[in-house]
Amino acid sequence: MNQTETALWWARTRAAGPQRIPPGGPAPAGMLRLPEPDGSGAWLLPVFPDSASAAVLDELGLPGHVLEHPNDSARVLAACVRCCWADPAGPLWPGVAAAWEQVAAAFGAIVHREEAVSHRALLAGVRRLARSGWLLWDEGAPMIRLGPRVAAWNAAQLSTLRELYRSMPPVGGDAARTPA
Amino acid sequence: MSEPVDAMLDDLTTEAAVLRVYRQAFAVLARESGAMILDVDLIDVDEAILEAFAEAGSDGMTAAEVVVACHRFDPRVVERRLGVLRDYRAVSKLVDRPNEQHYRAAFAPYIMVLFLRRLAERGGQSELHQLLTLEQLNVSHQDAAESDGQASVNRLTKVFRLLANELTSLVQRGAAEALRENAQLLWGNRPLIVQAEEVHGIVLQRWPALGPQCAALRISLAAYGDAIEAAAGRLIEQAGATRALGFLPAETWISFARRSDTGTLAAVLDTFVFDAPAPWLSPQALAEAVESARPSGGPRFRPPRSDDGPDLAGPDLVPADDTAELRAAAEQLLGERSSVTVAELLDEAGDWPTGRRLVGQMIAIHHHPDLGFELRWGNGLRIDAESFPSWVSAGRFERLTGASR
Repeated sequence: MNQTETALWWARTRAAGPQRIPPGGPAPAGMLRLPEPDGSGAWLLPVFPDSASAAVLDELGLPGHVLEHPNDSARVLAACVRCCWADPAGPLWPGVAAAWEQVAAAFGAIVHREEAVSHRALLAGVRRLARSGWLLWDEGAPMIRLGPRVAAWNAAQLSTLRELYRSMPPVGGDAARTPA
Repeated sequence: MSEPVDAMLDDLTTEAAVLRVYRQAFAVLARESGAMILDVDLIDVDEAILEAFAEAGSDGMTAAEVVVACHRFDPRVVERRLGVLRDYRAVSKLVDRPNEQHYRAAFAPYIMVLFLRRLAERGGQSELHQLLTLEQLNVSHQDAAESDGQASVNRLTKVFRLLANELTSLVQRGAAEALRENAQLLWGNRPLIVQAEEVHGIVLQRWPALGPQCAALRISLAAYGDAIEAAAGRLIEQAGATRALGFLPAETWISFARRSDTGTLAAVLDTFVFDAPAPWLSPQALAEAVESARPSGGPRFRPPRSDDGPDLAGPDLVPADDTAELRAAAEQLLGERSSVTVAELLDEAGDWPTGRRLVGQMIAIHHHPDLGFELRWGNGLRIDAESFPSWVSAGRFERLTGASR
């Protein structure tokens, strides 16, 4: 893996989000290699030092690039974290796959909206998040997984997330979970 | 003369602009309408013919020699052009006799060609500058007379009026494209106006009698300035917020998009790299979003208002019915008597806590509308410092006669 190839991989991830590579694929410098639990492949995720990550924008009070409907998107992601985080004591990635109904219930518990409205917001949020690599979801698929991007959260951010996890009501149907 | 089939649009517009200047310049020379040159290349032919004559020297050339000298061009075109030049006496017979085959060229047509070339390249601005400089020299010359000044001012007035008129009509009626093609009228206008004002100043200072003519010049200068402002405003408005006057008009883009194939369209983006930063969501943002979605507390009630009264008026405000109570108290105070003094009652009470209750009762009974008793205070005071009460006003508590309604 020479410098040019590394640069190309960085450009690819920068332009198109985390890249899925076959098992045994390249491991460019500065990138996290996130193997799929079933070994069918791996994700390349660029890892920035804390002094260069998106969190710096927050600290400086500068607007970062946000999704449309940032609040609903964040709530959808929170619902998915609640459903897909297998063990809050451990790492977030790879998590487990959660059924759509489960996520819908978790989201409904957050927003307290009418079911049709809530469903519409959930679907839109899942689509946005899946497109930007925060969730793994194929259009119409029954199961949702966390995307490789969540592995970029550092330890301090994970502890914030743990508190959020605990503060959210438990979602029924834990038995329905299947290892991804 | 090859048809400009492969010519690009830019070349065509440039040629059109050059040709327009030539036609404008030749308009004063044309003998009849339709006799104007219609192709910019003919000027090149003219130039080549005149160059050939210059090379030929004083012996002149025959028509055939001219055609040979101008072998770069189509012989027929050269011959035709030569005929036109001959008609206009730009080329004439060396000796004026019937069978003379040799021709000579006048130098004026070549000067004209040179002048036109400059005019086409610079849009006539530099000529106008030189004209203004010359006018300034003329009017500044110590031998210049008032008539020179007047003529100078009149010429300038006409030049600027024509400029302003052309611009104004373009702004008001012309298409924006036409305005853009004629943008040379807008170039370097400030120095022109300043120069003209200098001439105007010199003339007005030397010959104050030319005031009216100078006023006309000032007006035409102001009109030119206004026309420039209007034209610039129109161009900027047409360019939109980008202020990019060099942009192609929207129609060109649309026709490009309609007529191009996929490859051509894709080629437009060949040099672009799409590098949008990925959206970032922090756990903090997640927590805040979840928190903000929580409903706050139970249902909320509005605070009470002053006009909420009717509900509270019910049992609380019914007058207390203490008639019986007070009547019993009065009977107890009076006993068998029909009248008793306050002093007697207080003496019976013995101490002030009891006494003041008795006084309170008597006042309440007195004021009760349904009871036939009365407390009447009179003049006089009983004072006995040693005993209780130490002083008492004279007063009687009595049963009203014919009372007990």
